[in-house]
Amino acid sequence: MSECRIMADNLVKTFTRNEKKSKKVDINAVDGISLTVGESEIVGILGANGAGKTTLLRMMAKLMKPTDGMVSIRLGDKEITDDIEVKRHIGYLSNNTKLYGRFSTAELLRMLGTLYGMEKEAVDKKIEEISDILSLGDFIDNRIEKLSTGQTQRASIARCLIHDPQVYIFDEPTLGLDILSSAAIIDFMKKEREAGKTILYSTHYMEEAEFMCDRIVTIHQGKIISEGTPEELKKELGKENLRDVFAELIVREGITDEH
Amino acid sequence: MNTKIIKTLIKKEMLDVLRDKKTVVMMLVVPIILYPLIFIGVMQLMVVITSSMEKQDYRIAIEADDGGGFLHKLTENDDRWRDKGDTGDSADTTDEEDSYTITIVDAESIDDYEAALEAEEIDVYIRGEMQDGKFNYDVYYISSVTNSSYAMNIVMDKFDEYKEELTQAKIKDAGLSIHEILEPVIYEEKDTASNEQSLGSIMGSVLPFMLIISLLMGTMYPAIDTTAGERERGTLETILTLPVTNRQLIVSKFLTVAIIGMISALLNIVSMGGIAIYMYKIMDMQTDGMSFDMAKFYPAILVGMLAIFAFSLFISAITMCVTSFAKSYKEANNYITPLMLVVMFTGYIGFIPNIELTQTMAMIPVANICLLIKNMLVFKIDYMAIAVVFISNIAYAVFAILFLSKIYDSEAILFSDTKGGLQLFEKRENLKKGGVPTVSDVCFLVALTTVLVLYGGSMLQLKFGLGGVFGTQMILLLVPLAIVLYTKKDVLETYGFHKTKITGFLGGFFIILGFYPINIVLSLIMISLFPQSADNVINTFSSIMNGNIVGVFFVIAVAPAICEEMMFRGVIFNSLKARYRIPVAIAAVAALFGAYHMSMVKFIPTGLLGLVLCYVAYETGSIYPSMMMHFINNAISVIVSCYPEQIEKVFPILYAETASVSDMLLLTGAGLILVGIGWLILRRNHADYK
Repeated sequence: MSECRIMADNLVKTFTRNEKKSKKVDINAVDGISLTVGESEIVGILGANGAGKTTLLRMMAKLMKPTDGMVSIRLGDKEITDDIEVKRHIGYLSNNTKLYGRFSTAELLRMLGTLYGMEKEAVDKKIEEISDILSLGDFIDNRIEKLSTGQTQRASIARCLIHDPQVYIFDEPTLGLDILSSAAIIDFMKKEREAGKTILYSTHYMEEAEFMCDRIVTIHQGKIISEGTPEELKKELGKENLRDVFAELIVREGITDEH
Repeated sequence: MNTKIIKTLIKKEMLDVLRDKKTVVMMLVVPIILYPLIFIGVMQLMVVITSSMEKQDYRIAIEADDGGGFLHKLTENDDRWRDKGDTGDSADTTDEEDSYTITIVDAESIDDYEAALEAEEIDVYIRGEMQDGKFNYDVYYISSVTNSSYAMNIVMDKFDEYKEELTQAKIKDAGLSIHEILEPVIYEEKDTASNEQSLGSIMGSVLPFMLIISLLMGTMYPAIDTTAGERERGTLETILTLPVTNRQLIVSKFLTVAIIGMISALLNIVSMGGIAIYMYKIMDMQTDGMSFDMAKFYPAILVGMLAIFAFSLFISAITMCVTSFAKSYKEANNYITPLMLVVMFTGYIGFIPNIELTQTMAMIPVANICLLIKNMLVFKIDYMAIAVVFISNIAYAVFAILFLSKIYDSEAILFSDTKGGLQLFEKRENLKKGGVPTVSDVCFLVALTTVLVLYGGSMLQLKFGLGGVFGTQMILLLVPLAIVLYTKKDVLETYGFHKTKITGFLGGFFIILGFYPINIVLSLIMISLFPQSADNVINTFSSIMNGNIVGVFFVIAVAPAICEEMMFRGVIFNSLKARYRIPVAIAAVAALFGAYHMSMVKFIPTGLLGLVLCYVAYETGSIYPSMMMHFINNAISVIVSCYPEQIEKVFPILYAETASVSDMLLLTGAGLILVGIGWLILRRNHADYK
């Protein structure tokens, strides 16, 4: 593994739920996870619904504050821990990061560039560059609410690219997309890995994870239950493919109900 | 704080909001198009009404043996009365010679005058008889029929003239001077108010309200759009990924809403001002013209602008606080309706004469802005009050923003799922059984019962006295029960119908016994602070005491112990307790209970009673002890009111309007000891209960 880029150190997130009879129950959605992802690496997070994937990724992207533990980014010999500074180096994408429908993609990118503290010329140059990569040319000046699903997805990726982040955190980026759109995202992640970027993402698609990820981390009830390259995992559990690996892990942990 | 980021964020919010049709319509179309349209519409309507009244023929039947005296007067048909200008209705004072004609219908041909009036065969029926040497005329008409009532006015005017003529003739016959008899003194009204003051006082009652409403309307949609709207569209998480602090985010959202509110208010003023000037010009052409020195209004305009500025900060912050809890546009609209009603009702204060902008008033939001603008328009300038108004508005806005940043720091609210909304408007089959009502449902319940109790309850009490008080209690019992049952909640859980240990009742008993004297002391203090409302505290039941003692006892002591407890310590407390921390829930119940008694003076004593009852309900986990305590408390009051002679001998302090400090200390001390004992018993109980 190359030099580490993003680090999670013993992350804990506790939610207080109101149970019956007005008792408050503390639940650790993420329960002491430590994780590092290095340069030119794609790490996939697997886990059943409610395992804590989204909470983990939100904390790593500094959207949520951990109850305990910390997240830091290392660039060269600089270690960054400040929330706002970390956000500058992260491109975060999830099902909940919708775009401003009343803006055009170009307007949105320009605004975001300014918010990331970029100069106007730099923003314009970057937009041109992104537009070429993702072929936004046809619809870059149309309002986002008028775009097709595929176009919107490309605009969403463009949003993550504008500030040239070193780390990408994607929460189920291919969920519910057609083959073309998800292929575009997979291509994008691969390309970015070649460019030395760090990618952490969660998915439900085993085949996709198997051929994409350098390492796979499986979590259950807020804890890591296995970690390794797809090959290591298959060998360790003596299975042919990742789907069977996951099934085996589920049986071991006694997870029968995937709600 | 980085101004570049704020600027970019404001630009973004502005664009986002202004590209929304609803906001633009509310902001631009309403003031610029709607006001003139309404104005033109009203003018047109008035023209139609006026023209429809011209050349009306009124049919009058007269049956009187007065030698044709009044009949002659009626048919004389001079229009002298209209020349006076200010008598009669001016609606048909047209320049034409005859705006109406009178046809005398033969009274003989009418059998039943009521039927004839009803059938509009005649408009007025007059019958005259000689009584005690005087002619006594009865004039029949139907006030709800326009023609009949206009004809009546004409007849009455004719009668006035007729009477005057007869009077003059009699004076003349007696050989006296008409002038000296009829006008022994001469007086004339002289208004020293300048034209500007008159104009100012008219504007002062209307303008503040219009301003408040237009600001509220102007800020409402952007407030919803930037908070609940953003969440509904799913862009909130996107913006959270940016290197922007929550404070920057909130400040820019807030400034956007405030700026749009101000622009909208200014457009409203310009539009209304335009109409006002137009009307003024029309009037100017018709009358000799009142001239106004606009320069005199400059201070008012300046302060008015500042007031708009301060109020838009305030109202934006408040509306955003409310809408931030909502997850969708629709939900936000529901939340904002009660706020709108409160603001509108408070805004009416400008219409009420004699309310002065005192230092206290200057701190009451909405009312202070209304009164300030009103005062400025009649050139009453109190710098201190102006300062207090601005400082308090800005202070409230700052508090609201701090609160708002707390909301935006709360991940529970930001990332929450669609739980806890108003369940009342969900499809019933989608509702889950069990649990307690949501906080939104409780808010709705409180709003609904408030309206019902305020209007229905007070009507019932006016009409039925004691029975009406019972009716009010029934509202408190049945409305929540209906909501709880409809939303399929767990009744036992919601109302706290749980068994509890005997120590719970014992502790409660001591606490309420101790609380009663403390409450007396509190009431005495309140009376000394607000002497004018003394009656309010003392003679609570005097208006309904006439009933029998059993009835009074039932309605005042038994019913509230059941109904009010089930509402406040039952539904409201148990619902709030499930969502908020216990002290917050108890404080909210206490405040609501205090407010429910609708008296400034009673607020603290009853609020405190609510607090104590709620605490006991919490400690025992059951509603029964607080019901008992509420009963004891009210029962003592009933006995004290019903048997003043007997009880005053033993406890004169119960009827005193003042008391010495030592008496008060003694009462408080005794009370505290009892409360302490009760508390100790209760604590033990609570430990057992847990």
